Formats: sequence, structure tokens, C-alpha cells
Amino acid sequence: MAVAAVPAGGIADHIHPEPQGFVRRYVFSLDHKIIGIQYIITAFVFMVLAGLLAEVIRTQLLNANGGFVAPETYNEVYSVHGSAMIWLVIIPLLTGGFGNLVFPLQIGARDVAFPWLNMLSFWIFPVAGLMLFSSFLMGAPTAGWMEYPPVSLQGAAGTSMWAAAIFLVGVSSTMTGINFVVTILKMRAPGMTFTRMPLFVWGQFATAPLLMIATTALAAALAALFIERQFGVPFFDPTKGGSPVMWQHMFWFYSHPAVYIMILPAFGIISEVLPTFSRKPIFGYKLIAFSSMAIALAGFMVWAHHMFTSGLAPFLQLPFMIITFLIGVPTGIKIFSWTATLWRGKIHYTTAMLFAIGFVGLFTLGGITGIFLAAIPFDLHVHGTYFIVGHIHYVLVGGSLMGVFAGMYYWFPKMSGRLLNETLGKLHFWLFFIGFNGTFIPMHWLGMLGMPREVATYDPQFTFWNRFESVSSYLMTFAILIFFVNVLWSIRNGKRSGPNPWGARTLEWQIPSPPHYYNFKHIPTVYGLPYDFSQPLPYKGLEEELTDSPPPVAAGAH
Amino acid sequence: MNAQLIERLGAVIGGVVVAVVAFYALYKDWQATGIENQVFKLMLVLLGVGAVLALLAGLNIVGFAPKGA
Amino acid sequence: MSVAAIGADAHDGVDQLYVETRELRLQGFLLFLISDCVLFSSFIFAYLYLRNSGQGWPPPGIQRLDVAFAAWNSVVLFGSGATMHYALENFKHGNFMKYMWFLLATIVLGAGFLGGQAYEYNHLIFGEHVTWWGSGIFGASFFTLTGMHGLHVFFGVCYLSVLVLQSAAGVYTKGKFFGITAGTLYWHFVDVIWVVLFSIFYLI
Repeated sequence: MAVAAVPAGGIADHIHPEPQGFVRRYVFSLDHKIIGIQYIITAFVFMVLAGLLAEVIRTQLLNANGGFVAPETYNEVYSVHGSAMIWLVIIPLLTGGFGNLVFPLQIGARDVAFPWLNMLSFWIFPVAGLMLFSSFLMGAPTAGWMEYPPVSLQGAAGTSMWAAAIFLVGVSSTMTGINFVVTILKMRAPGMTFTRMPLFVWGQFATAPLLMIATTALAAALAALFIERQFGVPFFDPTKGGSPVMWQHMFWFYSHPAVYIMILPAFGIISEVLPTFSRKPIFGYKLIAFSSMAIALAGFMVWAHHMFTSGLAPFLQLPFMIITFLIGVPTGIKIFSWTATLWRGKIHYTTAMLFAIGFVGLFTLGGITGIFLAAIPFDLHVHGTYFIVGHIHYVLVGGSLMGVFAGMYYWFPKMSGRLLNETLGKLHFWLFFIGFNGTFIPMHWLGMLGMPREVATYDPQFTFWNRFESVSSYLMTFAILIFFVNVLWSIRNGKRSGPNPWGARTLEWQIPSPPHYYNFKHIPTVYGLPYDFSQPLPYKGLEEELTDSPPPVAAGAH
Repeated sequence: MNAQLIERLGAVIGGVVVAVVAFYALYKDWQATGIENQVFKLMLVLLGVGAVLALLAGLNIVGFAPKGA
Repeated sequence: MSVAAIGADAHDGVDQLYVETRELRLQGFLLFLISDCVLFSSFIFAYLYLRNSGQGWPPPGIQRLDVAFAAWNSVVLFGSGATMHYALENFKHGNFMKYMWFLLATIVLGAGFLGGQAYEYNHLIFGEHVTWWGSGIFGASFFTLTGMHGLHVFFGVCYLSVLVLQSAAGVYTKGKFFGITAGTLYWHFVDVIWVVLFSIFYLI
């Protein structure tokens, strides 16, 4: 099949001169790679803060009657912990961070479609994050990350600050979503049809519309809450004709797709790491690609499974239960595909691979408890208990965060030219794995026994397991510290990686580590899927990438 | 009431004019290709529908009537 | 970035870079309009949900809406949509003066719509039953939605005014006029939103 060449004089040909000066290169950078790193660094800073909040929670829960912090403070702590982890850590890491960093390289592009918008999207993020944490100075939100009215209507000023902060970070997300959709639709290298795209790109392509559409719905809900609190405009206050349940509808209409925003890119990361370290093509490429789109679409149809105890009519609840069950199907297809990828592969147990395999196992567990929760009778029993907390942390930490770690160990060499230390990495993995499971497994039976979530004290019968969880969480935190030490050490002292330390086949590995600011001297042409290890690389035009020849820079400004 | 009459008259006449213009423009541009032209066509349809609704409202055929106790 | 500098490197003849970046900008802009749609849809959902919560509509003590006036004001806005369409048509066919007249007509009609909304708000706030933003769920939904829409119209009028200045400075040429296309798309979008709002507030 004849493949069209790169059109002359277009974007692919257009290499602008290199930006000069520290500020243009590293602060207000238009380069997607720098922006991606900025996102990752900022998100990790927020992760430390939100993680400290988590340890406040766990320390409070060492004792049945608490005592570490006042109950009102405890409410603030878990509310900001949840909000920060979701909106300031996981979503930015996976979309703005790894999304920006990797997929433009994988599609053979020089940058995203709207680099200036990308830069703006990033800079909104730390501002919004600071706003969220500043809420502690004015009475942080206390109604959980979900801020249900009427409680959230009565909260201190920090609740309004919360709404404004999340609204702002949502604007950043929406712009990123638009940017990514257009980039993937329009800027793939010649010959890269949709069915030749790496699966990480599919993951971003499934996520970007969610960022665009779902986040805007949240913005509306937050705006309504804000104007109700600040100007007395009644949307949710039942004494004025409003409806608290309406908040739940509006909030969950976004927040359910949000969880897919938090997992689909991680699915993409796993789909890259597993074949590389199994030395085998990914099993079921099309299955994984299309199931990602199916999950993204179906994700809009299940929001009320978070509302089974809110008094909706049963005939309305049933479709949500059924569709939620059905989402398990494309997810299960992925799990089977990943397992089949590993089957009879030549497995290289690098740290990235350990996290990827761990992801498959732990996310499966989290997904299974999700299927339990889809069943209305079961959910009625455990809604608002620690069972939910266990479920969400299995999918978000055992899933998304492990995916983030896998991505870090995998792509750190590409971005810095140095490998992360494997010994520290394996220590990180095992301590994290043990600590994580110790922290979150007992939550499942604690929940079934009736321990409610978001409460500062608990019935003394739960004491042993709470202490077990808290100690395990300290181990998990220590493991994450090891990770940060590894990163900081390896930036200076890590072993040089060269362009392709893993022998991987996607486009980003065919250029130097770190890549030049222009990514590719010449945009390659693509002839097939990257995953077939028995074939030569399916690209043409990459001969000069690893040489010292200068890039064909366009004269003058563009 | 006089103001009401003028408003209604304006709505009816304007509604007719805009609806005719919109649907005529749609008819002329029917063959256009490209995504922006498809979007324009869709918007012209909706514009025409809106003009028709305004016209009907001016004639009091549709319009908000308070319901309930 | 100065007004005249936008598109200042425009020159006629096929410019591959321009063609490709125009495609990107068009798609990006359409996606932005879709997300704006979602924003309005969320508030429209809230309005319909609250309206259906069984208290009868309008709730007691609320000023009646003036359908006749709104119908007239709507026609003003729809008319501006028609003039904007012809503005773009004329530009594409090279009739610069006609384009400018139609563009100015659009701005005048758009501003007229805003004036009409101001009059409508005045009628509601200072009518027999004082009805404002905090007046129960009616005020909440009506003023939030029409206010958001009015803001969009206002930004649209501002943008179109900038278009007038840019066009006078010769920024747009027959081969490069995406700013005008985008303005037309946005203006139609604002019109279409009003079709929906007019229907759900004044007609049902």
C-alpha cells in the first residue's frame, strides 16, 4: 500500500529555531517534553503533600478514639487528601505528565497541536493546587472530596476556595483534552493509521474526550455550588427549592468518567511496558484499543452507581447496575490480553515490568470489588464504608499509581538519558507492594463489618486491623521515599541509558535520550505496528536520527 | 398592550424574514463539503427552527403559560 | 500580540504550513464549542431537574415572563446570525465592503439583543414580583443560564468588534481568514444556544 510522504512545507517540515535562555527553555517552555516534566514534578510535589495528609489520617486511626487531630481537622484532612490526589496528582501525572511527555513522540510529531495552550494548561495547574491547599488557612472543606450539599453549603470559606481551585484545574484539563484530541487526529506521522498507533496513544485518545466533556460538566456543578454559597443562588439547598440529589447527579456525571481518566492512560502505559519486557507482540492489539474506547463511552452511562443509597427509584437504578456490570467486559478483555502477552514471553524483570505485572494483579482485584459494588444489594450494605475506600485505593493506587511508577522507570531514561537505579527500584517495588496490600486489604472486611468512611473515630472492635493498616501505610510511604531518592540520585549519577536501553520498538526509542527539542530531524513514515519483535522496525526515514548531523531548521520566524 | 403588539408584530415579521433567509442560505449551500460547512449547515437549520419558534410565539401559538397551583 | 500582527505573514498562494495549522485550529475551535455545549447542557439539566421537582412552574410569587418581548428579542439575535452568515459569504466572494456592512449589522443586532436582555432583566427585577438571582430556583436557573448566555454574546460582540478593526487593517485576505470563520461559528453557536434557552424558558 502506497504511503503518502510528508507534505513539503507543512508542520512536519517546520523546525523552529531552538528557544534561548533559561526562562524560555525551562520555565515558560512551549516544548511538550518540558511541559510534561513540569507536570510530573509538580504532581509529585502535591503527592508528597497529599501523602502527608494520608499519614495524618492513618495516624489518627491508630486509636479507636482518635486523638491525633481534632475531628473537624480530620474532616479537612481527608477532604483535601482525596481532592488533591485525584485532581492534583493522578490526573495531571497521567494526562499532562506522561501524556505530554510520550505520545507526541510516539506518533512522530514535533509537538502537540497547540503548544501555547499546552503551556497555559500547565501553569494553571500549580496555581490551582496552591489555591486548594490554601483552603487550610480559611477552614478547608470538610465534606469529603465529594462535597455533598447541604453540608458543603455550610462549610467554611475553604469550601468555596476548593470549588474555585478545582474549577481552575478543570479548565486546564479541558484545554489539555482538546489539545490531545486534535494532535492525535491530525498530527500522526505519514502511514500511522489508527490501527498502527501505539497503545499508549490509544489510551490518551480514549481519555482526551473525557477530559474535554466530563470536566466541563464538573465545572458547571462547581460553579453552581460556588454561586450558591457566595451569592445565595439556590440550586442545592432543599429549604429554598433546590435539590441535594441534583448535586450528586451533576458531580458524579463528571466523577465517574474521571475515574476512567485516571485509569485509561495507565492501561496504555502497561500495554507498552508488558510487550517490551516480554519480547512479544501485545496480544489482542485491536481488542485493547477498541475496548479503551468502549470503556470511555460507557463510562458516561454509569454515574448513578455512586448514588444507590440516595433514594432514586429502583427502576432508574437498575440500568446503571447492568451497564456497570457490562463495563467489566472490556476491562476483562484487557486483563486477559495482558496475561496472554506475558504467556511464554521472555520476561525481563526490570522494575518497570514488576510494576506493570503488579498493576495487572492489583487492578484486577480492584476491578472485581468494583463488580461487587455494581450489585445494588451489596452496595446498599457497604456504601459509605471502608469497603469503598479499599476498592478505590486498589484501582487508584494498585492501579493508576503503579502504572505511574511503571511509566517512570520505563521513560525516565528517555527523558534524562540515565537509568533509574534498579536495586533501589526493586526495593521500592517490593516494599510498596507489601505496604500497599497491608494497608488496603483489611479495609474490605472492615467495611463489610460496618466501619464507616470519613469518620475520625471508630468502634474499638476494628482497632487491630486499623493499626495493621497504619503500620503498613508507613511502610508504603517509606517505599515512595526510596523512589524519590532514586530519582534525585539518578538524575546525576544514573547509568547512561543511550537511546534505547530496553530494545523497545515505538518511535520514541529511535531518537536520542533525551530527545532534541525538535524530536525528529525528519518525520518518519510508518509501515506497521511496532510490537512485532520478529520483524525489522516498521519505519522509514530514521537513518539520521542518531547521528550528529544538524537538523534542517527553518530560516526566520514562523 | 401596544408595546406587546409591536413586539409580536416584530417577532412575526422578523421570524419570517430570518427563517426564509436561513433556509434559503441552507438550500444554496447544500452541496458544500468540509467539516466547517457541515457545521454551518447544521447551525443554519437550527437558526431557521429558532426563527420559526419565535414566529409562532409572536402569533401566540406556542408560549409559556403558567401551570400548576 | 498586536492586532495587525495576527496573520501578518499572510500572503496569497498555497501555504502548506497555513493550511495545516488552519485545520488544527478549526478542529480545536469546534471541540471548544462542544465543551461549551456541555457547560450549557449541564445547567439546562439542572434547570429542568429543579423545574420538575413538583412545585408547579413558575413557583408562586415569581414575575411572569414576557413571551412577546422575548420572541422579538430572539428575532433580533437570529437576525444577527443571518447577517453574520452573509458577512462571511461576502468576504469569501471578495466583496469587502458588503462584508464590513454585514459585520457591523451583526454587531449592532447583537448589542441590541443585549440591550433587550437588560430590559428583560429590568422588567423581572423591578416588576410587581421582584425576581432576582436568589429568588428561589426560578431566579437561580433563569438568571444563571440567560446570564451565561448573555456573557457569551457579550464576548462575541467584543470579538466581532476586533474583527472589524483587524479587517480594516487588512489582516484578512481571501486565502487566510480563519478568524472570520471562527467568529461566524461562535456567533452561530451563541444563536443556537439561545434557540434552546428561549424554548425551555419561554415556550414550555
